[in-house]
Amino acid sequence: MAQRHLIIGGGTAGINAIRTIREEERERSEIALVAAERPYSRMVLPYYLDRSIAESHVYTATPRVLADWGVTSRIGRRATALDTQAGVCTLDDGTTLEYDDCLIATGSSAVRAPVPGADGRAVHSFWTLEEARAVLAGIRPRSHVVLVGAGFIAFTILNSILSLGARLTIVEVAPRILPRMIDDTGAGLVARWLADHGVTVRTGVTLTRIEDAKGGKRLVFASGAPLACDLVIMATGITTNLEWLQGSGVGVNRGVVVDEHLRSSVPSVYAAGDVAEGRDRISGEAAVHAIEPTAQEHGRVAGANMAGKDVRYRGSVLINIVEVCHLDVASFGAWDDPKAEAASGLMADRPAYRKLLWRGDRLTGAIILGPSSDIWTTNDVGMLKGLVQSGVALGRFKAHLMAQPFDVKPAFIASRTTSRLLDETILGRPAKAPGDTPVAV
Amino acid sequence: MRVLAIHPEKCTGCLRCELACSYVQTGEFQPAKSVIRVSPFEGHTSYAPYTCTQCAEGWCMTACPVGAITINAAGAKDVLDDRCVGCKLCTIACPYGTMFYDPGTRKAFKCNLCGGAPACAEACPTAAITYEETWTGDWLGDFAHERTARILEIR
Amino acid sequence: MTPVTANAPKPSKTKKAPEPAVALPGGYAGKLLRVDLTTRKCWAEPWGSRMRELLGGAGLGAMLLYRETAKRGGKGNVAWDDPDNRLVLATGPLAGLPVWGTGGLTVCTIGAGTNGPTSTQANGFFGTNLKYSGWDAIVVQGQARDWVYLYINDDTVELRDAKFLVGKDTWETQDALCRVTGLAGHQLSVYSIGPAGEHLVRFAAIQGDYGHVASKNGTGAVMGKKRLKAVAIVRGTKALRAVDPRGVLQAADDIAHDLRTDPSARSLYEYGTLPGVGNLSKLGVLPIRNYTTNLTANVPGADMADWEAPRLRANFDHRGHQCNACGMHHCHMSVIQKGAHKGRIVDEPEYEGWSGCGWQIGAVDRDGIAWLATECDRACVDVNEFGWITGWVMECMEKGYITRAQLGFDLTWGDIPGAGRLLRMISRREGFGAVLAEGVKRAAEQLGSPAKDCAVYIVKGATPRGHDHRGRWDEMLDTCTSSTATMETGNPVHPTEVGQPARINIFDGVQVAKNVAGLAGRRSFEDSLGICIFTTRTRLENVCRALGAATGWTFTVDEAIRFGRRTAAINRATALRCGHAGALEYPSVRYGSTPVDGPAKGQAVRDQWETMLDTWYAEVGYDRKTGKPWPKTLKALGLDWLARDLWGKKA
Repeated sequence: MAQRHLIIGGGTAGINAIRTIREEERERSEIALVAAERPYSRMVLPYYLDRSIAESHVYTATPRVLADWGVTSRIGRRATALDTQAGVCTLDDGTTLEYDDCLIATGSSAVRAPVPGADGRAVHSFWTLEEARAVLAGIRPRSHVVLVGAGFIAFTILNSILSLGARLTIVEVAPRILPRMIDDTGAGLVARWLADHGVTVRTGVTLTRIEDAKGGKRLVFASGAPLACDLVIMATGITTNLEWLQGSGVGVNRGVVVDEHLRSSVPSVYAAGDVAEGRDRISGEAAVHAIEPTAQEHGRVAGANMAGKDVRYRGSVLINIVEVCHLDVASFGAWDDPKAEAASGLMADRPAYRKLLWRGDRLTGAIILGPSSDIWTTNDVGMLKGLVQSGVALGRFKAHLMAQPFDVKPAFIASRTTSRLLDETILGRPAKAPGDTPVAV
Repeated sequence: MRVLAIHPEKCTGCLRCELACSYVQTGEFQPAKSVIRVSPFEGHTSYAPYTCTQCAEGWCMTACPVGAITINAAGAKDVLDDRCVGCKLCTIACPYGTMFYDPGTRKAFKCNLCGGAPACAEACPTAAITYEETWTGDWLGDFAHERTARILEIR
Repeated sequence: MTPVTANAPKPSKTKKAPEPAVALPGGYAGKLLRVDLTTRKCWAEPWGSRMRELLGGAGLGAMLLYRETAKRGGKGNVAWDDPDNRLVLATGPLAGLPVWGTGGLTVCTIGAGTNGPTSTQANGFFGTNLKYSGWDAIVVQGQARDWVYLYINDDTVELRDAKFLVGKDTWETQDALCRVTGLAGHQLSVYSIGPAGEHLVRFAAIQGDYGHVASKNGTGAVMGKKRLKAVAIVRGTKALRAVDPRGVLQAADDIAHDLRTDPSARSLYEYGTLPGVGNLSKLGVLPIRNYTTNLTANVPGADMADWEAPRLRANFDHRGHQCNACGMHHCHMSVIQKGAHKGRIVDEPEYEGWSGCGWQIGAVDRDGIAWLATECDRACVDVNEFGWITGWVMECMEKGYITRAQLGFDLTWGDIPGAGRLLRMISRREGFGAVLAEGVKRAAEQLGSPAKDCAVYIVKGATPRGHDHRGRWDEMLDTCTSSTATMETGNPVHPTEVGQPARINIFDGVQVAKNVAGLAGRRSFEDSLGICIFTTRTRLENVCRALGAATGWTFTVDEAIRFGRRTAAINRATALRCGHAGALEYPSVRYGSTPVDGPAKGQAVRDQWETMLDTWYAEVGYDRKTGKPWPKTLKALGLDWLARDLWGKKA
């Protein structure tokens, strides 16, 4: 059994792995943590940005918690090389750490559109806490903020920017918003909703450069009028933090390729979260799911296996939810599977939209939009996730749901989905409450 | 632990549980804020209340990025309001559709078994909801499976 | 179609003093929803300053009708089919709260049956959904050019095109609206009219939530005349505040305890109105074959053991289908287990259905009756009047007063498929159905004697509930003197609480009249709260306590009775304006005849009728000659303004 665990990365995957090791191990092991930043939750940064929580609220594993866990932490350091033969990790200050097994949980980073001026003054990314601090310092009431990119990341901070009293314009190179989260119809509904809430959206525009102009910024496009503003936020994508693994012998494709135990091609090396290429539960194919719930499940499964358990992971379900001015927008699983059979329903007045995707009589993907105040939206958000996750055979209810995509509840319940789900746990045991720690495992 | 056992054949669809639940959870009668919800089967006849089973995995609890969902003294998964930031991750992680979000308070909310004295069970005039020491289960599946046959024929 | 919103400006012609800003009592949503179908405008009207005076439901409706349906400076009244008629769909302060049976809807309008005011109650979830959407009542005026339905989802209020609903029955209408809105079950409360309402049948009802009917006085025809096919209300997201929520729950528990345990309410709690068939048959109050007999044995195939409530219910696969927060085992859905309609979901008939679609027409096939009663609901036909008219046609055919050539087919006692055929003809005014669609009274008068003398009705144009009132004189007197075309005082509930004797000689006209007068007020009060008349079968003090806890008012039993009598007096004033003089307060020949057999054999109500009227008028403090409440009566009720309206300087 491994006596010395090394956790590389202090995000959701890493912190979950640490607590799981402590919960699952039979004998107390040594755990070392290498993290570039003080551990915090990226999910809550939008709420830090809108000032509804204090900065102290974003931190997860505080020094006190890490001490309670008996973790030797190297905060502010990055891993630069991994010698898997020797079991040694080299850090960016030249120091080394020995391990019996290690977890790669180095996550991903924001990338900016490669245009002149992208690294200039008043041009920000919104990914790390430090970047969040910079954006918060830069926005004033009535500032005009331009979000470059209309994907999920951009939309997570949209409400926050508006609630700070700023004026907001979104520019997107694709012909529509949220191209990797919802379909055209859903995007159209969100676009109208945004217009109704005073947000300007320009799609199909290619940014060519960002200039300084009269104390503000000016965005220049391949065609169309330039756009003047006070502050630019680049939400143009993320990239997996993999480069440092070159030469380590760890098998890498789009991410670190892992098996159902979250183990890489090197038996003593695990990977979890954004950096791991695990299995998509719906399609069964390899996939990188750079989302919080996957990081959490990966971290727990990896931690349990590092602690000597035999926990197999059934794969992650792609799930995304974002609230846009009190409109919930969510998608699950293979929502854009072109080979799936699909049925949809639109209630433009509520507004509400559903799209259900099928392989046979199993729901493999779904899109749902509805007002946050609508009591049935959240109900169905969960149930659709349950149907996709459980893969329950819907039989005769398929036709019902195809005709009535808003009437999810009877189909969910009558298909005995609950009983299918009740037996399922990630670690083969009931989860434990977070208690004094930041994570429940 | 004691759980909410649902006896669907006794439910008459009066929705009194929703009123009682919302009162205990929010201080006002507001069924939109109830965390137990009666749903129809067979179109407009058979009804049954549906709420959180306090499942073993606790998908909401493990999904929460800030540890804002914990297990209370009654054994229920419970939201700590001062920790919850309102990110909704729990609402999408819960595969049962029993995590909710209040746009007014910007907090998630769910069944917390009223801390051990569930208002819904107290309010139900037909004892279709009882609070007892038993294994939690799929209380509605078989009932709904049988009853919904008719709605499928009709519609 | 352009949707209108609840915030649309008020039409300029209705200029009134602005509503004073007042702190709202608990229990109320706070606004009336005004809908003008002619101009297609909807707007919100605050009414906080009038809540204690009008409460809601019947009280609110009575005042709105009095104030808004006058013509010729108060000398006349608009007719039921005038666009200026108001259709008030009102809840009350208890609706939506966890007191049993609080889905309340009270419909007030100038009805098509009597062409006079009415107040008729239904339940389900109308009131709950409406109040949680932020509205206490809907007041409809005008007339739409094309069929519309009213859609309410919190603050979104729209008149929507209803062409796709025309011709659908009430259940199909609700199904269709669920489909187009993507909602199911209680998420959407729908009250609508079926073909009978569309075709302005004089006894068309408004039906909602699969089995709840505001049935009296042709409210469905009013809705049809306005071309309002349905009202669809989404279960709203707003909160209702009670001043003392624990007090509401405690009062609810006390009421529930009474209903469960009090001997006068217990069978209602267990079986709803089902025991009525067996119990009333033993008193000669079950109408059998259009009042031609009171012996159940005269109906072929009748076995009274089948009609004991447990067996009656057990004949079906039944499921509870209660109204808001109700713990009664009253409303049920049933699945027919055998026969021509095997597998059909029906609304378990009330006593009224078993009598109107059963005994009154000589039928005892329980499966067939259940089907027929539900068909009445679906067509939106008042099941009582349907019974009176069908039984009358059957008797007239037997006696040759109506011929096969007239009707188009033979209709004999107990013929349920035939009655179903008649229902379709009436609902669509096909053939002889057009005559019958005018209601028992008008049809009987059109045919004249001797057919006319077989018909059961009140000369005013209304019809009784599903009883043989020749053995229940209190209801006959109440129904005939009522200003609302149906019972206005209602049956005694804990009569000693309001100083009435625990029991009386039911065939002593004076005692009966004193009792009816003495009990007046309670029903109109209850009907103003948004609560079911069955779940108020407790001491009135408990109901007042629930009201007080909800609103924050101290509401005594005395105030409750005074309130109810005030409401009755206001309705009386409107009825008089509609031409309802005392000459109309008589039973028809058959209705007031003397039973020839059974427990009430030989009891002749007509012999005592004048005495009963004299006594009743004196006791309630109304003028027998003019029908008007005396000035001193009105002043004692705090209605000095109405005294001036009715009596001028004499007041």
